Amino acid sequence: MHTPRPLRPLPLALALLALAGSVASCRGQRGDQLRLGAGIALTGNAGLLGQDARTGLDLARQRFAQEAPQLELQLEDTGSDEAGATVAFRRLINAKPVAIVGPSLSQQGFAVMPMADRARIPVIGVSTTAEGIPQIGPFVARVASPVTVVAPRSLAKAVQLNPGIRRVAVFFAQDDVFCTSETRIFQRAIRAKGLELVAVQRTSVQDTDFQIPITNVLRSRPQLVVISALVSDGGNLVRQLRELGYTGPIVAGNGLNTPNIYPVCQRHCDGLMITQAYNPSLENASNRTLLAAFRKGRAADAVPPQVTAQAYAAYQVVHEALATLKGTLPKGASLNSLPLPELRQRLLKTLLAGTYQTPLGELRFSPDGEVLQREFSVARVSMAADGRSGRFVLLP
Amino acid sequence: MHDLTQLLLNGLSTGAVYALFALGYTLVFSVLGVINFAHGAVFTLGAYFTYFLIGGAAGANGLLAGLQLPFALPFWLALPLAGLGAAAVALLIERTAFAPLRQRSADPLLALITSLGAGVVLVNLIQLLVGAESYAIPTGALAGLPAAVRLGGAQVRSVQLLLLLVATVLLSLLTLWIDGTRSGKGLRAVSEDPTTARLLGIPSDRMIQIAFGLSGFLAGIAGGLVGLSVSIAGPYFGIGYGLKGLGVLVLGGLGSVPGAVLGGLIIGLAEACVPADLSGYRDVVAYGFLFVVLLVRPQGLLGRVLPSKV
Repeated sequence: MHTPRPLRPLPLALALLALAGSVASCRGQRGDQLRLGAGIALTGNAGLLGQDARTGLDLARQRFAQEAPQLELQLEDTGSDEAGATVAFRRLINAKPVAIVGPSLSQQGFAVMPMADRARIPVIGVSTTAEGIPQIGPFVARVASPVTVVAPRSLAKAVQLNPGIRRVAVFFAQDDVFCTSETRIFQRAIRAKGLELVAVQRTSVQDTDFQIPITNVLRSRPQLVVISALVSDGGNLVRQLRELGYTGPIVAGNGLNTPNIYPVCQRHCDGLMITQAYNPSLENASNRTLLAAFRKGRAADAVPPQVTAQAYAAYQVVHEALATLKGTLPKGASLNSLPLPELRQRLLKTLLAGTYQTPLGELRFSPDGEVLQREFSVARVSMAADGRSGRFVLLP
Repeated sequence: MHDLTQLLLNGLSTGAVYALFALGYTLVFSVLGVINFAHGAVFTLGAYFTYFLIGGAAGANGLLAGLQLPFALPFWLALPLAGLGAAAVALLIERTAFAPLRQRSADPLLALITSLGAGVVLVNLIQLLVGAESYAIPTGALAGLPAAVRLGGAQVRSVQLLLLLVATVLLSLLTLWIDGTRSGKGLRAVSEDPTTARLLGIPSDRMIQIAFGLSGFLAGIAGGLVGLSVSIAGPYFGIGYGLKGLGVLVLGGLGSVPGAVLGGLIIGLAEACVPADLSGYRDVVAYGFLFVVLLVRPQGLLGRVLPSKV
C-alpha cells in the first residue's frame, strides 16, 4: 500500500518564501517603481562624509515618496577605499538600477564610475569634486561643483580679510586623488596672487600624528596655512597646528567641509575658512523643505552639512528628470514599459538638459555632465565655548 | 641645535607610542611564538574605554546612540581603568582564539588566523555599537597643562610629552617585573621553553594569561593616550599603529622586550629625519630601514638566532 509521504515543513517553508519573494519582486517592477542605487562610504575614514550623504538621501526619499515616479533606494556601503567601492558598485549594477548616486570620494569615483559608465547606467557624483570626474564617460555626471571652481574662493577671502599675508604653507594628503587635485588648484591660486609658497607638506589620509610635519612647516613662519585633507586627518592637523602655536588663518578644502570636524579639532576648529557650495539661508522652496525636514528631531537652528544638501540635490535631480521623462511618454504608459537600457539612456539625456531648483540653488549641467552652479559663499567655523558644537558662519 | 632637539623630541615621542604598541605584540610572541593580530583592536578599545569613562557620549550612528555613563572620571583615573578593561578583553581573546587551539596542539600558525578573526569581530562590534564617527577626548582633559611646551628651543605638545613619560615608566616597570620578580622570571622561562618550564612546575597557562593581560593593559593605555593626542578616528584607527607595531617588533627582534623599545625609538627617529617636503613618504623610510636591517640581521637588532633542532 502506498503511504503518503508526510509534508516536510522546512522545504515547504523555503518554497513559500521563494514564491513570496518572486511575487514581491514582480510587484516591485510594476507601475513606475524604479530602483535608484546609492553607493556611499558609511565606514572607514570617509564614513563621516557618507553618513552626511545618507541623511540627505533619506530626507529626499521621504520628500519624494508620495510623488511619481516611485523610487526604491538601494544603499550600499562602499567603505572608504577603491576595493570596497568596487564591490558595492558591482552589487548595485547587478541590482539593475535606473541610475546610481555616489560614490563619496573622487578616489573611489575614478575606480568605480567607469564600471557604471560601461554598464551604461547614469551615475551622479554627490561629493566627488576632483578634476576629470565628468570626463570619465558619457554616463557620468555630478552635483558637486568641481574643485577648480570652489577652492580658490576661500583663499581669496582669506587674503582679502588679511591683506598683509605673503607667506603661505600648504598641507595635502598625497594618497587621495581629491586632495591632490585640490592642492594643485590652491597652489596655482597662491602663485597667481603673487604669494610666496614657503612650505608644501605631503601627508596621508591615514595620518593622525602631525607633530613632525607641523614643526617642519612652522620653521618657515607661514602667515596662512592651506589644507587639503579629509575629516579625520585634516581635523587632527588643524588641532595640532593650533596646539603647536600657529595662530594665523587656516583655509581648508572641501574634505573638511562638514560639522563632523567639530569632535576632531574641537575648539581649535574655530576660524577655519571653507568655501560653501551650500548656503543654508538660501531662499527657495527646495531648501526650505530640506531645512524643515532636517530640523525634525534636531535643534531648531540646526543646518544640514553641505554633503547632506548635495545628496538631497542628487536624488531630487534624478527624481525630477524621471518625472519629466514620464511626461514625454504616451498617456498611460509607465516608465517601466521602456526597456531598461533605453530608459537609462533617455534619463541621462533628460537629466543633462534640465534645470533644477535645489537646496544648492539652481543647478544645470554641461553636455559632459559637469554641474553648473551659481551660488557659492565662504564660511568661517565658529565654535561654542565648550568646543563641542559650532556653526559655519557665512562671510559677507 | 634647535632643529636637532626638535628632531629628537619628534622622534622620541612618536617612537614611544610604537614601542608601547610593539611591547604588547612582543609579550604574546615571547610565550606563544605567534603574533596576536587582535592587538590593534584591543588598542582601539582602550581609546574608546577612556573616552566613555571620562563621560563621553556615543554618537548617533550606533546601537548605543546617545549612551553616556552616569559618571565622568578624571583622565588620570580613566586611563588605567581603560587599560584594565582592555586587559580583560585581551584575556577573553586568549580564552576564545588561542587557548582552544593550544589545547588541541594545533599548529601555532593557526592562531594567526583566529586572532585576526577576533580583531575583525571586535572592530565591527565597535562600529555596530558606537558607529564609525570620530570621537575626541576633550582637549581640556589634561587640565592645568599647556597645549604645548618649549624645550631647548623646540616645540612639543604636552600630550606627546605625557605619552613619552608614561611609555618610559611602563617600560621600566615591565623590565623590572620581568627581571626582578618570580612571576616575571616564570614568564621568561615559558618563553625560553614552555615544556621544560612546565616540568619545572611553572604554570605555563597562567603565564600565557599574564602575558595577554599585560599586553592588553599596555595596548589599552597606549590607545587612551593616542586617543587623547590625536582623537579616535573611528573603529579602524588602531590598524595603522598595528602595522607599524609589527614593523617595530620585527626590527627589534621577535620576542625581545628591549628590542621592541629600541625598534620603536629607531623607527620614530627615522620618520622624524625625513625631510619636510618628503614627509608623506615617512613610511617608506621607516620600512626601507627595516628592510635593510633585516637583510643584514634577519633576526632583528636584538633578536637571537635560534639553533635548529634535529
